[in-house]
Amino acid sequence: MELNSEADEDTKKEQEQKEEEKEKQHFHVLAVDDSNIDRKLLERLLTVSSYQVTCVDSGDKALEYLGLLDIQESEISRTSSISSCSSSSSKSSEKEVSKVNLIMTDYSMPGITGYDLLKRVKRSSWKDVPVVVMSSENIPSRITIRCLEGGAEEFLLKPVKLADMRKLHSHLLNTTNIHDTIIDSDHNNNTNKRKASSPEDSDRRTRIQELPVS
Amino acid sequence: MERNHLQRRAAYMRETLFDQGYLDEQFIQLEDLQDDANPNFVEEVVKLFYTDSARFIRNIELALDNSTHHDFEKLDDIMHQFKGSSSSIGAEKVKRECTQFQEYCKAGNLEGCKRTFQQVKQENATLKRKLESYFQLKRQAS
Repeated sequence: MELNSEADEDTKKEQEQKEEEKEKQHFHVLAVDDSNIDRKLLERLLTVSSYQVTCVDSGDKALEYLGLLDIQESEISRTSSISSCSSSSSKSSEKEVSKVNLIMTDYSMPGITGYDLLKRVKRSSWKDVPVVVMSSENIPSRITIRCLEGGAEEFLLKPVKLADMRKLHSHLLNTTNIHDTIIDSDHNNNTNKRKASSPEDSDRRTRIQELPVS
Repeated sequence: MERNHLQRRAAYMRETLFDQGYLDEQFIQLEDLQDDANPNFVEEVVKLFYTDSARFIRNIELALDNSTHHDFEKLDDIMHQFKGSSSSIGAEKVKRECTQFQEYCKAGNLEGCKRTFQQVKQENATLKRKLESYFQLKRQAS
């Protein structure tokens, strides 16, 4: 028994890593940033970390994607290539959108700011989706505090690095999404058709209130 | 033989860019994101930077040329975006000049802004030249 233990440890670790990679591939991140360089960087960082990514260039587009624009707004922005909005109520638009497990947003954007977006999301049925706010200002001040008080799960200092991606995974695992994906993978690994979080889930979910350990 | 020599020249050039403070560790972050499936990632990001910086520079020029009223808040805002982009690619010297410009904006010092703006343009052009040489050398060496 003793002779095999080290080899067992290795294969166990390998298996854990493979499982983690498999879990990650179920996670879809919505990244919001008005800078095309930062969008490209985020897209690459998230892809390298095995997440699925959708990038949008404004808070408006993010709200549209999430089906949170009201009917009037969604008709105005019909020219957008994002096809999630239908002409019916915003509630039914939400169901058309593929799941979103995490939202990453820049803080300072023209129009709807990252903070505005954060508040809108936390007021909506997407409120249990973790929101990460990014900013280049490094004074751990109004921005950080404001966002964390506003319900953001994490604040990242720009430029975002590969090491920061690990922080995302812990937030994703804190939600019950993992249960959804594990159950689904048992049923032949189909892609999750309903969105990751729904109002009913919030009751059985415990919120992690303390600041995340970096 | 020739290829080895070119590779060494490219490596030396790269090291110099770091040693002389043109690039910081964020550039290495970009390099780490490059792989066989995405072999031109760094160059693509740098190209995006130069498209953006041309636009930022143009907008600042327009805002500075306005002889009647100078909107320091607007200047600061544009420069904040420029600084963000330069930070994202690791353009250390450019970033530093952007910061200096923003200081002058906050102080409402127009002359300081104009002077620093020249520095911003200069550093931007210098880095562009050096990076273009570097990428060309790398292409020849591969």
